[in-house]
Amino acid sequence: MATHSLSQSISQPRPAPRLGMLGYLAIFAASLAAVMAVPPRVLPWSAGLCLLVAALVYPSAFRRLMRLRWLVMIALLALPAVFFVGEVDRSLAGIPVSSEGLQTGFQIVVRIVVVLIAVDGLTSSVDIASVAGLLEKAGLHGLGFSIGVALNLLPSLQQSALNAWRSLWMRGGLRKRRWRSLTFLSVTIVSNALSRAEEIALAAEARAFSPQRARRLPVVTGRFDPLVLVVSLIAIVVAIMIV
Amino acid sequence: MKLSTRELATLAVFGALWGLVEASLGSVLKSLNIPLSGVFLAAIGLIIALVGRVFVPKRGSTLFIGVLATLIKLFSLGGVIIGPMVGILTEAILAEIVLSLAGKPRRPALVLAGALGVAWVMLQPFVTGPLLFGRTAFVVWLDLLDRGSQLLGLDVTAAIWIVLALLAIHLAIGGLAGWFSWDIARLLQARQGRSIPQTLES
Repeated sequence: MATHSLSQSISQPRPAPRLGMLGYLAIFAASLAAVMAVPPRVLPWSAGLCLLVAALVYPSAFRRLMRLRWLVMIALLALPAVFFVGEVDRSLAGIPVSSEGLQTGFQIVVRIVVVLIAVDGLTSSVDIASVAGLLEKAGLHGLGFSIGVALNLLPSLQQSALNAWRSLWMRGGLRKRRWRSLTFLSVTIVSNALSRAEEIALAAEARAFSPQRARRLPVVTGRFDPLVLVVSLIAIVVAIMIV
Repeated sequence: MKLSTRELATLAVFGALWGLVEASLGSVLKSLNIPLSGVFLAAIGLIIALVGRVFVPKRGSTLFIGVLATLIKLFSLGGVIIGPMVGILTEAILAEIVLSLAGKPRRPALVLAGALGVAWVMLQPFVTGPLLFGRTAFVVWLDLLDRGSQLLGLDVTAAIWIVLALLAIHLAIGGLAGWFSWDIARLLQARQGRSIPQTLES
């Protein structure tokens, strides 16, 4: 009985996810177009629509936006417009501001929030292998292999940089001949990384790997990708055509 | 562009290095709010990309390094910062265009590629500001003049001089980055025990 259900589950193909790489990319592009191309009077509506879609597709992106660094960055970008754009014609909690400046500041905040949520949603929903696969299809052959090597190298690069820095520190650090020391430090780090990469390349060649004959990285496709793609394309065209 | 396994691994090293520098040093410099931090970051990144070009002197290799660095930055823990990603990619494209037009990598080509790549840091807010953040080009221009006058100690009314001085600083730092990338590439080739290409011996 157990064997039967196991073989049944193995034979059943895994259902495709609702959205794949293309679907997420289409939503991202449509979100950017919806806040970049539309005139200011339509911006609140288009931004609201983008945020609604984002809340449905990747709700966790909103939580990440609530970090202090993002809030400070948004405030830093929007506040100058509030105080320096337009003639002062009203007071907000005792602070003189202009209506035009407030409007501009609001537009800046809305655009930044939509862009940040769109990028964060895309990066948290799509894995790096899918992006590499898509870029490989676009002509950057071997990118998947390079991404693999690069990600594999990151921890060893950090460790090697730390080791080289400690060695330099024990020999007096940057007290004398700073430029020379820094040059040798960087050369040591890159040299170690190149040696490691050469080992990886040799291992790949020993397994008869060839970038030209390698299996392309799979691009995850979703059930609703075609529909999302069409809707996004229509949204982009509408956003561009609204005057 | 056909690259061998070894060339792909070499490009991965330089892409990883650029991405690592952007993800680690970039976050530190931005949070410390050091003046011209973007310029120094771009210069370091371009040194890495240009040394990579000397190691893999094929068309498209600089762009390849830039794409790798962008992907690493995109998926780094530092979070979403669209500006640096646009910056990395555009700097890589500019350097790639210069180096592709120049043919074999030589010191003058690296200097020009570095200078143009770093000069982009000054122009980028005029593109990303209005397009992504809804800031008008005029606000970006005022911001540039304000930062320039603070840095150079000039009055804001001397707008042309501020812009020219800032452009000269950007080009000079980029040119220096290109100059040093040539020396670092030679040093690395010697350290690696690789045969130094004829273009490097000049």
